[in-house]
Amino acid sequence: MSFALPARQITFGRTNVQQQPYQYQQQQQPSHTGLALPGGATLQQQPATNSLSLPGPSPLSNSYTQPQAKQQTPPTAASQKPTNGTDSSANAVAGPSTPPAPTIPATPAPLTLEQQHITAVEGIVPTLQNIVATVNLDCRLDLKTIALHARNAEYNPKRFAAVIMRIRDPKTTALIFASGKMVVTGAKSEDDSRLASRKYARIVQKLGFDAKFSEFKIQNIVGSCDVKFPIRLEGLAYSHGQFSSYEPELFPGLIYRMIKPKVVLLIFVSGKIVLTGAKVREEIYTAFNTIYTVLCEFRKP
Amino acid sequence: MASAYYEFYRGSSIGMALTDSLDELITSGAITPQLAMKVLQQFDKSLADTMVKQVKTKTTLKGHLRTYRLCDDVWTFIIKNPVFKMESNEMISSPKIKIIACKNGDAIEAGKK
Repeated sequence: MSFALPARQITFGRTNVQQQPYQYQQQQQPSHTGLALPGGATLQQQPATNSLSLPGPSPLSNSYTQPQAKQQTPPTAASQKPTNGTDSSANAVAGPSTPPAPTIPATPAPLTLEQQHITAVEGIVPTLQNIVATVNLDCRLDLKTIALHARNAEYNPKRFAAVIMRIRDPKTTALIFASGKMVVTGAKSEDDSRLASRKYARIVQKLGFDAKFSEFKIQNIVGSCDVKFPIRLEGLAYSHGQFSSYEPELFPGLIYRMIKPKVVLLIFVSGKIVLTGAKVREEIYTAFNTIYTVLCEFRKP
Repeated sequence: MASAYYEFYRGSSIGMALTDSLDELITSGAITPQLAMKVLQQFDKSLADTMVKQVKTKTTLKGHLRTYRLCDDVWTFIIKNPVFKMESNEMISSPKIKIIACKNGDAIEAGKK
């Protein structure tokens, strides 16, 4: 499998090409101030480290990837530096299906720290589509009172044991349970999700309940993007069988269960990708960057 | 099962007229209040059934839904700037309306099963 090695190197070479969009991102960040712009970090992750224009491990941003990254860094980084000249259009063509050779890990090659911080591959940044969060209002609720007095509320205990409430800004839906637990869905950014949850808590408070705003937690983040080239799903399913499930008779997309970060991807022939299961925005970005190198290999000729 | 019917038609102009007449009859001593109650309950039932079975006129309406609510099987909609299009192609608009939608008698019975 001597052929496999250059192919691998080429994929690494991409990182050099990508440095620029990344740095651009970093410079942009301070002005984002945690708003819903793609690529902007969440509020909590904004602190001083952002001023670094060089991609470096920041202890504050995604701590979950650090341990993994540290183990993998030396080999990948070494193989990466020398490959300077490869340009991205060349590597895109270069990927006739390389069945997994023993030298190549079956997983997409573990990313270096630098790679993990890249949030724009080829200028593509996954868009966040939905964020699901839970809140504990820490107070028993009488759902009928809420349904009767709040606007835009539905309560049909025969169907579902929660009040379904919606607000227009941020456009979200909440499920409010008698136990005081609440699920808020539909937000497009972490801040929107939190703001919406606070608004719902306030509405419940105004109805005369002693509602608090506790245990706010983002449970799921869904993102999507388009790599803008068709993909050979069969080839991908074959060589990444451990992670892939592709049953075109059941569902037209390939279901890719990535282990690190723990994200599930739906990959479609058209090149459209859906990423779900992330708890933080960075997991979506890391997962996309990881899969992008793989997808380039399985680009349809 | 008179109790299976909503009483909101009593607030309509025809319902108000009936209530006024019954009041008059009670004060003049022509009927007992119990009989008046029976008449009103029959009115609730008859009007609800008639609306379901005999009223075939339709209208379509378009507008912006401001607020909605579902509680106790009753939907409430507040609609801004509705435009009604009648069967005769007549258009009627209004700044704001409130629609209250309930199940009819049969559906209530069906829901209980």
